[in-house]
Amino acid sequence: MSQALLDIRGLETAYGAVQVLFGVDMEVHAGEIVAIIGPNGAGKSTVIKSVIGLAPARAGTITFNGRDITREAPHHIPALGIGYVPQGRIVFARMTVEDNLEMGAFLIKDNAKRRQAVEAVFAQFPRLHERRSQLAGSLSGGEQQMLAIGRALMLDPKLVILDEPSLGLSPKYVDLIFEQLVGLKKQGRTLLMVEQNAARALELSDRAYALELGRNRFTGKGAELLANPDVRRMYLGGYGVRTGSAG
Amino acid sequence: MPARQIAFGLALVALAALGPLVGSQYHQAFLLQLFMMVALAQSWNLISGMTGYVSFGHAAFFGVGAYAGTLFIQSGFPWWLAILNGSLIALALSVPLGFLTLRLRGAYFAVAMLGLNEVARIVATLWVSLTNGGSGITLQPAILPPLTVNYYLMLALAIVATIIVARVYHSRFGLELRAIREDEGAAEMIGVNTTRGKLTAFVLSALIPGAAGTVNVMYTSYINPSSAFDPSLNIQMIVMAMFGGSGTVWGPVLGASIVMGLREMLWAQYPALHLMFLGAMLLAVVLFLPGGIISLFTRKKVVRPEVMSTGDGERRG
Repeated sequence: MSQALLDIRGLETAYGAVQVLFGVDMEVHAGEIVAIIGPNGAGKSTVIKSVIGLAPARAGTITFNGRDITREAPHHIPALGIGYVPQGRIVFARMTVEDNLEMGAFLIKDNAKRRQAVEAVFAQFPRLHERRSQLAGSLSGGEQQMLAIGRALMLDPKLVILDEPSLGLSPKYVDLIFEQLVGLKKQGRTLLMVEQNAARALELSDRAYALELGRNRFTGKGAELLANPDVRRMYLGGYGVRTGSAG
Repeated sequence: MPARQIAFGLALVALAALGPLVGSQYHQAFLLQLFMMVALAQSWNLISGMTGYVSFGHAAFFGVGAYAGTLFIQSGFPWWLAILNGSLIALALSVPLGFLTLRLRGAYFAVAMLGLNEVARIVATLWVSLTNGGSGITLQPAILPPLTVNYYLMLALAIVATIIVARVYHSRFGLELRAIREDEGAAEMIGVNTTRGKLTAFVLSALIPGAAGTVNVMYTSYINPSSAFDPSLNIQMIVMAMFGGSGTVWGPVLGASIVMGLREMLWAQYPALHLMFLGAMLLAVVLFLPGGIISLFTRKKVVRPEVMSTGDGERRG
């Protein structure tokens, strides 16, 4: 197997005295969509917070693109080629859509290049283009999520990490956001996402990791996990167990 | 910085520089205090207006600087060295303090700074061997420069403070600070070193108050703990900056001028009621003009990343 783009080995993370992760292993290969599923408190979000430096690892290693990023500070992460879409659609509410995107390319000092990146995101998300001079805080939840994704793409990241991209969105927007994630994969981007909607996440992803209480529990192709009765029972609330259909 | 604003600033400075030539002692004394408030409101603006970390204890830097300067003058050093010393001591205090307090967000930071000012006041009161305690220190007027010199010194501090704010406002660094103000987490995610940004702004914001404290003692020739660490000074600089428009270049200048001017006009006529008038005005501004008086003159825009590449704001029409 080729070297993983993101390689997590024996990750242990704690918030103060409360240990959340107890040796999690994970790999993300170039071009994949990888999902992390698990019940509340399993440590899903903590894994990605450790990757981007918001919750520094206590033990273990995190390697990205051949480089050890275990102790990297959060503000160094964007320049390394990791885009992050935080949970809860954190945008600069009092800035316009266009300015939010420009802020996403804060590290690019060349105006022309930054404009190019903005136009590329607009081409991909025509809705954002329509709303470009609107304040981000006035957008609908789904549009804000789109904007957060667009902002994460501004530096043309190798890996996009999404924390609960569908959380709190209307069903219509959940469909739209998931479609866009597939679109990103088709462009050759690599995605790692935490998702509470485990069924949708497994359908969409190439591979998935199911966590339980801070440890790996199941690992495999998305479709395999979706067909696994144990996974269904534990993570999907019995979703489709009787009918055997993935819905 | 736009040429029109530079011209406006130069005109203001020229006008202020004429003060001692045309004004009476009373006018000079009033303007000196106005300059002091501009310098303090601008300094507060640097950390609190730009990053949203509201400090309720900036008088601590003013007071610590004042004591440092006073002790230097008392020991026979020239006043210019005392001013420098006041500034440097405030700076030296701000670095460890910033490390400690800037982790705190929102109200916690504000309260920590308020506490600092009180602690400083108590230390100054109890450390009698150094500060002469509550009796304070009186400097011999003979070794202090005349009013006109103090006038120009305070004017210089107001100018320097405003220039620092303007330089920061129109720089990439200023954009970092505004990103922190809008959303610190998001700022970090786009690659802003938020710790460094906050600390730099904090340290810059301590410099001028330290110097202003010393010049103020050179003007009044007296210092005691409650004049140096006057809690109402904290409130005044916040009120003036917000009244004019915090987070902007000219807001604190405007706010200090209007509030000081009105107060001067009103207190003689309505000794008991003038504070009520001012309070009502402040309420009205906060309620109806949250961006301050300055927002009447500027187009409604909060942040534009026009300064991402320094010096080139011409990228779109």
